[in-house]
Amino acid sequence: MSCSEKQEQIKKTIAGICSEFNDDPNELIAILHKAQGHYGFLPKEVQSAIAERIGVPASKVYGIVTFYSYFTMEPKGKYPISICMGTACYVQGAEKVLQEFESRLEVKNGQTTADGKFSINTLRCIGACGLAPVVMIGDKVYGNVKPEEVKKIISEYK
Amino acid sequence: MKSKQIKIALRNCGHIDPERIEDYISYDGYAALGRCLFEDTPSSVTDKIKQSGLRGRGGGGFPTGKKWELCAASVSDKKYVICNADEGDPGAFMDRSVLEGDPHSVLEAMAICGYCIGADEGYIYIRAEYPLAIKRLKIAIAQAEEAGLLGDRIMGSDFSFKIRLKYGAGAFVCGEETALIKSMEGNRGEPIMKPPYPAQKGYMGKPTNVNNVETFANVAAILNRGAEWFSSIGTEGSKGTKVFALAGKVKNVGLVEVPMGTTLRELIYEIGGGIKSGKKFKAVQSGGPSGGCLTEKHLDTPIDYESLKAAGSMMGSGGMIVMDEDDCMVAVAKFYLEFIVEESCGKCVPCREGNKVLYNILDKITHGKGELSDLDKLKNFGNIIKSTSLCGLGQTAPNPVLSTLDNFYDEYYDHVVNKKCAAKQCRSLITYRIIEENCVGCGACKRVCPAEAISGELKQKHLIDQETCIKCGACIKKCRFNAIVVE
Amino acid sequence: MERINNYEQFKKSSSGIKKERESNSSKVIIKIAMATCSIASGAGPVFDLFKDEMPKQPKEFVLIPTGCLGLCHSEPTVEVTLPGSDPVVFGKVDVKRAGLIISDYIMKGKTVDCIIEGN
Repeated sequence: MSCSEKQEQIKKTIAGICSEFNDDPNELIAILHKAQGHYGFLPKEVQSAIAERIGVPASKVYGIVTFYSYFTMEPKGKYPISICMGTACYVQGAEKVLQEFESRLEVKNGQTTADGKFSINTLRCIGACGLAPVVMIGDKVYGNVKPEEVKKIISEYK
Repeated sequence: MKSKQIKIALRNCGHIDPERIEDYISYDGYAALGRCLFEDTPSSVTDKIKQSGLRGRGGGGFPTGKKWELCAASVSDKKYVICNADEGDPGAFMDRSVLEGDPHSVLEAMAICGYCIGADEGYIYIRAEYPLAIKRLKIAIAQAEEAGLLGDRIMGSDFSFKIRLKYGAGAFVCGEETALIKSMEGNRGEPIMKPPYPAQKGYMGKPTNVNNVETFANVAAILNRGAEWFSSIGTEGSKGTKVFALAGKVKNVGLVEVPMGTTLRELIYEIGGGIKSGKKFKAVQSGGPSGGCLTEKHLDTPIDYESLKAAGSMMGSGGMIVMDEDDCMVAVAKFYLEFIVEESCGKCVPCREGNKVLYNILDKITHGKGELSDLDKLKNFGNIIKSTSLCGLGQTAPNPVLSTLDNFYDEYYDHVVNKKCAAKQCRSLITYRIIEENCVGCGACKRVCPAEAISGELKQKHLIDQETCIKCGACIKKCRFNAIVVE
Repeated sequence: MERINNYEQFKKSSSGIKKERESNSSKVIIKIAMATCSIASGAGPVFDLFKDEMPKQPKEFVLIPTGCLGLCHSEPTVEVTLPGSDPVVFGKVDVKRAGLIISDYIMKGKTVDCIIEGN
């Protein structure tokens, strides 16, 4: 597919998503959620298409994507790993769990593995403090995670 | 764990199927709404909420009935009810539990609020990190609409009220009501000056009432059982109960709901079961990143809005993190500042630049490069930031630093003057040492050391090179002879 | 649930629903917490076990997935109310314990360990 064909495809998809929300600029965050759900991330081309469709400056869309931690301009891994670094998890040793994931997957927090399978990021409290330290992979929640268990958790996805 | 608890906001959690509206109705669900619409007037219902003494449970503690009254008094063709479900305080999961366990209690209360203030539309601003709560809210809204208990002409009355969801996207500052409203309007979550308050000019420029999930969860119970009943619980200034998420180094980690006025000691030791693993209590942090750390001398403080503030902390949304002797309070303060620096919206200089300065100083201290003068800087900058920041996030951000500096000055002193971390958490200030008498020279530590910092021949005493050691702790985990200590 | 078109209908419907709940008191009532923490702790398979095994027992029962009881330290939790008895909450229930709760406590009234006191 050529570059312009790709852009046309993006415009078409984005038009579909935005029209679900009546192209309403007030719904920008919901639109971005949907677009990220579809593409996995929000590259500049997608942001521009949204900006054009709903009639806001592209800089505004960019400003929102970079403001909210949920949105990412880099593709996440197939299995996004989110390690909770909320206070309860922090006092129960979440930092050591993060270090173990980084060491096993050989990428740092915020990065994706070369094969695109795993990405690591930290979350600020998903509200499962009773199970601290907590790790989410996709929507699945793992509780009471010890550094020794990281190897086994990763192997579930290999 | 139960005996000291009175469950009002959590009354149905654990007892009903949140995905069956009939279950909610079987426990007096929507009865309060029915009575409001057919047997009472908006101002009379608002009076009842005022009389109950209910105060905002999100942390602000503003009298709920008064808030509704102010919004009702605003003249406008359109008004809104917003439920703040952006529970961003790390360590807090009260709202998540209510939304997952009893979503209808929030929907019913929002409709009652709409009736009182003259709104026909409500939004629940919920953080995207709560997928199960979102799912159950969607089911609950659909079921309520299908049953005619939400939507057009509720129960055949003249009152219509629709509720929609709006999602957060991972910004702690959006828990502040003006930032939340900005976010709902498709903007960056940047707070604005108050006044005007949302009750006068809020969402889409219209009068808006914003309340927290837990605040709403109390409303139907108050109207069903009476304002007098509710105000008979708690203290003079803080009526009713409060839900706390007890977490950290306590045995019974979980969600509890206790009458206001319960002491910290009762909460931590009687309900929480005390400190786990036989460790010593050191501090309890209440109010999330906006609160302070309270110590042993504060344990008999009653939990209510005024007492916690007087003790140097605050109620906050209900997170209670218990810490023990293994927690370094300087590192804890730095942890909170790191969070604040990341979450600051960046709009005002005191918060954006000031908190970064505080963080940098704390980072220096935890890396063994702090000086005594840094402690005065922390205090001075902290107070400046508190009094000049635009919103609650910035105004309360220095609280963890100031309260730990106040209550744990010795620890800070130790870090900057003696370059020591008594809790052995700050890596730059600890050393791993092999105790010669216990070392048998098995070599297990040497094999596992990722930095090759351990030398020694088989069956000979081993030695850790302090220059090369990266203090990862791998050796101490491997040693079966108690021959390695952290100092 | 039927659509409510007037207040009288609501009161009648509500009353009927309450009576239905009261009639459950003659059955074994099993409540399993299914909040985020509960599911992360393994409540799913426990719920499935009760769902599969209880219909095979000669006792009338009601199985209710609920929100959390706040007992995060003991998830997964299961509350069982036998007819005429107070509710009993079991903690750290796995599939094996769930089986014992059915065979010993529900069918024979025998105590199973992992009861949480004071609930």
